[in-house]
Amino acid sequence: MLAAAGLAVGLASSLFARPAYGADDEGKKDEPSADAEKKPADEKNSDEKGNGKKRLEDATRKRASVETAGYIDTNNVAVLTPSVSASVENVTAGASLKGSYLVDVVSAASPDIVSTASRRWQEVRQAGSLGGAYKPHEFGVNAAASFSNEPDYLSYGGGGGISQDFDEKNWTLTLGFGYSKDTIGRHGTPLSVFSREVNRESIQGGAAWVVNPSTLASAALDLVFENGDQSKPYRYIPMFAPSVAAQAPLGASIDWVTANRQPERPLEQLPLSRRRAALSIRLAHRFDGSTLKLDERAYYDSWGLFASTSDVRWIFDVTRRFNIGPHARFHVQNAVSFWQRAYAEATAPRWNLPEFRTGDREMGPLWTATGGLGMALFVGGASEPSTWAVRLQVDGMYTSFLDDLYVTQRSGTITTLVLEAEL
Amino acid sequence: MKTLSLTILVALLSAACSHVAPYERGKLAHPSMTSELQGAGEGHVYAVHEGATGGGSVAESGCGCN
Repeated sequence: MLAAAGLAVGLASSLFARPAYGADDEGKKDEPSADAEKKPADEKNSDEKGNGKKRLEDATRKRASVETAGYIDTNNVAVLTPSVSASVENVTAGASLKGSYLVDVVSAASPDIVSTASRRWQEVRQAGSLGGAYKPHEFGVNAAASFSNEPDYLSYGGGGGISQDFDEKNWTLTLGFGYSKDTIGRHGTPLSVFSREVNRESIQGGAAWVVNPSTLASAALDLVFENGDQSKPYRYIPMFAPSVAAQAPLGASIDWVTANRQPERPLEQLPLSRRRAALSIRLAHRFDGSTLKLDERAYYDSWGLFASTSDVRWIFDVTRRFNIGPHARFHVQNAVSFWQRAYAEATAPRWNLPEFRTGDREMGPLWTATGGLGMALFVGGASEPSTWAVRLQVDGMYTSFLDDLYVTQRSGTITTLVLEAEL
Repeated sequence: MKTLSLTILVALLSAACSHVAPYERGKLAHPSMTSELQGAGEGHVYAVHEGATGGGSVAESGCGCN
C-alpha cells in the first residue's frame, strides 16, 4: 500500500511542482515557514549549502502514510481497518491535494443480533476521499469528495469551503458546506429491490486564532440536516405488555426477553428527519518539551440527544527522535426522546405500536471513558527526523449503558500503528 | 465537564486579543502542535460508539458495530 501511496504522490507532485521563489512570492520571503521554524539555525544553513539549489527549484512537499487500526470488545465485535493516505502540497503556491482510502473489516455477534437468531457475521466497508485546497494568500478555497461502500450501505458526498486570514494570520475564519447521499439497503437483497435514501446537508463555520506564542485555539460550529429513513432494516425490536415493560430489569438477559416479550417483533422505526448541532473548541499549547492538546465538543440534536465529549493528549519529547504521552477521553450523553429500555404495545384487539422505536444502544443514555498511551519514533534524517515517523497508539475503552436490555457495559481496546513519510 | 469547558473558554477569551508576530511563532510550528493525532480507524470507532457527531461533508456509513 505504501508503494501505491508513493505512486499517487509522485503523479500528483508533477502537477504541483513550481519554483519556490518566484516574482509572485516576493512577499513571502521574510515569513518563516513552519518547516523553517522547526529546524535549528545551523541545520538550516547546512541544508542551504548542500541542497539549496534543489529547494529553490521545488517547494513541493509530498507525504504518505499507512495506518492499521484494530478494535476488539467484550461484545464480540472486532474491526480491522487498514488505510492509506497521501498528500502533495506546494507551500509557496498555496495549493494542496490529499487522498485517502480505507477498508473496514467488521466481525460481530452482538447480543441484540444473537437475540434475533442471527449467526456471527462479517462485513467489509471501503471508503475513500479526495480533496484539494488553494490558498495563495489570505483567501483560500477548498473542495472534497468522498465515498463509502459496504454490502448494505452506499454513501457519496462532496463539499467545499472558503477561508480568510486576518491580522498577519493571527485569525482565520472558515465557512464550509457539505452534501451527502446515503443509500441504505438490506444485506443479501439488491439495492434495486430494497433501499432507502438519506440526504445529509451540513454547514460548518469556524475560527482559529493564535492566542500567544505558545498557544493555538479554534472553535467550530457544525450544523447537519438529515432527511430520510435511517431505520436499520435488520434491527427488530422486542415488544412487551405494558405491565411487563415497566418491570424489565436493566441488562435483561436474552432468556428473560425471550420468555417475556410479545410475539410481535416490529422493525426499528426512527423519525424521518434529524437536525444536529455541535460546538467544538480545541486548544493546543506548547510547553518547553511537551505539547498539550485539549478538545471539547458539546452536541445537541432534534431527537433530544445532548452529549459532551472531552479529549486530552499530552505529548512529551523524550528525545529528538522519540515522544510519548497519555491520552484520555470522556463521553457522556442522555437518551433520545423516544428511547425506552423496553417498549410497550397495546394488546388485542387493538395492536398499537409506539410510533418511534429503536434498539440502537448508542441512542440510549451512556458514558464512555477512554485512556491510553501514544508514542512516536522519528527515523528521518539528522536534519529533520520527523520526516519519517512510526506512531503507535493503544487505548482502552469502558462504556456503561445506563438503560438498556442485554448489556450494561462494554470494554474494548483500540490499537493504531501508523507509518508516515515525507517523500 | 462543565468546569473543564468553562476553564477552556475563559482561558481563550482572556487571551484571544494578543497579536503574535510571525517571527514569534517558532513553538507553534512544532510538528506536535499541527499534526492530527487521531487516525482514521480510531476516529471511526469513536463515531460509531458515540451518539454525537461533529457532522461535516465526509461520507458517513453504516457502522456495522451493533
